[in-house]
Amino acid sequence: MSDAVRDSMRAEFSDQTALEPFVFATAQYESGDWDSAPMLPANVIDSVARYTSLPVRPQGVSVPLSSEAVFAYPLLFLTGHLPVRFTTREADVLRKYLVRGGLLFVDDHNHDVDGAFHKTVREEIRRVAGPLVPLPNTHELYCSFFVFENGPPTTSHEMNGWGDNLVHEQLDAVLRNGRIAVLYSSKDYSSEWSFHPDNKRFLSVDNTKFAVNLVVYALTR
Amino acid sequence: MNDTMLLSVVAGVRRALTRLVYARATLLACSVALSAWVVLDGVRVIRGSAPFSAGRSAGFALGIGLVVLLLVASLLARRRTRDINDVRAALWIEERDAGARPASFTLVTLIEALVGLRSSAAERSAAERSAADASARAIAESPLLRASARSVLARTDVSRALRRSARNQLLGPALFMAGALTVLLVGALVRSSPIGIADTVLRVVTGDTAMATPIPPLGAWQVRIDAPAYMRRAPQQFGDVQNVAAVSGSTVELRGTGPVPEQVIERLVGDAADTLTASRRERALLPTVNGEGWQVRTVATDGPFALQLSRGGRARLLIVEGRADSIPGVALLQPARDSVFRTPEGSLALLASVRDDIGLATARFELIVSSGEGERFTARTVPMGARRFAGDRVGTIRATMDIAALKLVAGDIVHLRAIARDAHPASNREYGSSETRSFRIARAAEYDSVAVEPAPPPEVDKSLFSQRMLLMLTEKLEKQRPTLERKTLMSESVRIGRDQARLRQAVGDVVFQRLSGDVSGEHSHTVGDGHDHGVEQQQGKLALSGGNVGGVLEEGDDSPVIAINQPLLEAYNAMWDAGRELEQGDPKAAIPHMRLALAAIERARSAERLYLRGKPPTVIVDIAKVRLAGKDTGATNLRREREALPPREARRAARLVVAAQLVTSDVSVARDSLAVLRVEALGDSPAFAAAVGAVLDALGRSADATEAFVRARRVLGGVVRTDAGAWSRGVPR
Repeated sequence: MSDAVRDSMRAEFSDQTALEPFVFATAQYESGDWDSAPMLPANVIDSVARYTSLPVRPQGVSVPLSSEAVFAYPLLFLTGHLPVRFTTREADVLRKYLVRGGLLFVDDHNHDVDGAFHKTVREEIRRVAGPLVPLPNTHELYCSFFVFENGPPTTSHEMNGWGDNLVHEQLDAVLRNGRIAVLYSSKDYSSEWSFHPDNKRFLSVDNTKFAVNLVVYALTR
Repeated sequence: MNDTMLLSVVAGVRRALTRLVYARATLLACSVALSAWVVLDGVRVIRGSAPFSAGRSAGFALGIGLVVLLLVASLLARRRTRDINDVRAALWIEERDAGARPASFTLVTLIEALVGLRSSAAERSAAERSAADASARAIAESPLLRASARSVLARTDVSRALRRSARNQLLGPALFMAGALTVLLVGALVRSSPIGIADTVLRVVTGDTAMATPIPPLGAWQVRIDAPAYMRRAPQQFGDVQNVAAVSGSTVELRGTGPVPEQVIERLVGDAADTLTASRRERALLPTVNGEGWQVRTVATDGPFALQLSRGGRARLLIVEGRADSIPGVALLQPARDSVFRTPEGSLALLASVRDDIGLATARFELIVSSGEGERFTARTVPMGARRFAGDRVGTIRATMDIAALKLVAGDIVHLRAIARDAHPASNREYGSSETRSFRIARAAEYDSVAVEPAPPPEVDKSLFSQRMLLMLTEKLEKQRPTLERKTLMSESVRIGRDQARLRQAVGDVVFQRLSGDVSGEHSHTVGDGHDHGVEQQQGKLALSGGNVGGVLEEGDDSPVIAINQPLLEAYNAMWDAGRELEQGDPKAAIPHMRLALAAIERARSAERLYLRGKPPTVIVDIAKVRLAGKDTGATNLRREREALPPREARRAARLVVAAQLVTSDVSVARDSLAVLRVEALGDSPAFAAAVGAVLDALGRSADATEAFVRARRVLGGVVRTDAGAWSRGVPR
């Protein structure tokens, strides 16, 4: 490959990169309350902009899970309190999305292993992507940008004993070819991160840093 | 006299002359050192500073200076003594020979020849030595020359000549040194004398008898504060203080030793005093004799004043910080807020805290009951929970108010407060009171409470989930249809159909509940109840009645206009169709209707979604701002000149600077000035007064007051300085 060709490819790649910033997408499914954490996307976008030089779109999008438009987004966020039942179309699209390399991040907004969301969504994930297994706390997800030596950061909702009154030591995941396809959290990041980003200045430690790891992992692995 | 004796006499004179040079140089060095000391002391005394010799390092400095001067003098003397040899000594002797005028120089010639013979043996070569020796020996052995030289020595009294020379050369420097030493000793003696020798000498010399009796300046004093009787406090004794605090009405007694002060002036200080005439601003007090000393009394007022006492040419100030006895402070803790009672029953706990700077006397609650309406109002005052205090500074009063005992009626208003008095005996003494709470008995016709009842969970969400479950069950049944027997398929399909019917009934209830608010009330609405409220039933389905195609229903004149959720009607009808298909054992035909119902419910849910906490704002992150790459004008703030102080602060700043300058010359005067400055600022600028107080403390401890002065100046100018902060990234301090 000549240098001219390589340069032209690099220029083209850089142009594409410049034209396609990262867009935070929230999965919109037909059952349940998919929009229960309305402030979370802005907060994650703020953290990505604050800590990385990744091009990022200033506003997130909500994408119907039944639409093939989800294929345009490398990271899909799914949360809720109510039972989740994917439609056939949603299951098919999600299955294709995962096969094509997308990463679905599911968070239990109830923070309750006996809750309706936890039980139903794990059944749906098993149906679509396979069984969830515990993700080791030494996984590269925890050092893809910031280093979390003890695994996933604990949320205040866990510490305050809400939900199932448990502190979940690990996240669960469905791995495909050594890469996380579905990441499942019972830690209620939906509550932890759902605040206006302007209020980060009141925090001694920004609790949304782990979201940066998620985004970087989804974009680079 | 042989040659050896001759040389010995001449050598003795040479040594004496050498010692004389060294002695004169030493005396001159000492004289110069003492004279410099006297000059320095004189300059400092003229400038008002403390004498140089009063310092601790005076002796050390004198020693160093003296050593240096002695070294210099010895070097100079050494250079002079190089020229003094035996020949010069012989010449010096011959010059003192009074019998040979002019001098014959025979002694000089002989000594020179003898010295030449003695030195040639060691210093010259053999050829030179032989030639010089022959010449010198010829001179030295000349009988005439020897006889003449002996006669010179015989005629001259060498010892007397040496004494005269020593007197002539040493007397001047010695007198010079003695004079400087005398000045220094007399100055030290005058300074160390408590009664002033100089004044005594002056009085004796002038013959003034009045002055002949020395008056010592004011020394230490004792201050006694007797508080007013109602305060029940023991007298306070202070030593030689510069300022004391006293409550208004306290007696301030000042006692000292020695003669009665010549003048005692009580002078008001502060801005308020500046507006008074001199006669009202100050008054003379009459000190009295008390045993071997004196005393003077005055009474403290609400404001500060200064006592200026003068005696023996020295004036001292005592600042009395008079302050008023403040009225008690009262805080009503319970009830915490105003209220409205439906009925005049029950009891109310009352709680108040009281405090006073001197001591509390009594405290109680006070109720004012206002009754009536229109133009007829009556009011009555009811005391409650009275308590006496034995001079406590802090206390609490409690009471329980029986509302029924007040015999209140609807519309009555009760104003409640707590009041407290201290022990001040004045008849017109103010009392302290808390803020007032009020509670009212509600009238029967009014309703002034707001009840918020929790809303039930939205029915549409539950219906949505149920419909989705039914659809999934139906799809599953249709998928299993080829493998199922008709009977089984029929039973399963009918079971799902029954659930579909129940859900349809629930949706119908939602529709009609929205019309009346109650499905089981007297005027309830259900499917087919016969009422026409804009919705009618046609063959099991619901439809808008003819005159209500827009879905808007008017429930009489007083009811609000309610929009019927049309998607729910569509869902209801689709469920009806789906249920009919299911009851016929055809799940495949039911599925499209069920999907229609599900979509309709979804639309209804979206239309009815309520955000109880308010709809969250749409946040668009300002990426440039987050990355600190936003607006930057490139212009930095310019340093501005500090604004000039207001006139009053400017005057105080000037006084502060003067006091700072005085510290180096007369600390007591500086302290007096600062004390007056402090007490003037107590009222309007307590921060500056505190800063000046810190300066006084430092001066009282003989510590370095520079920092305190700087801080006082900054406080006066309102300059805010913060400690240099460490970098947030953890740079060590």
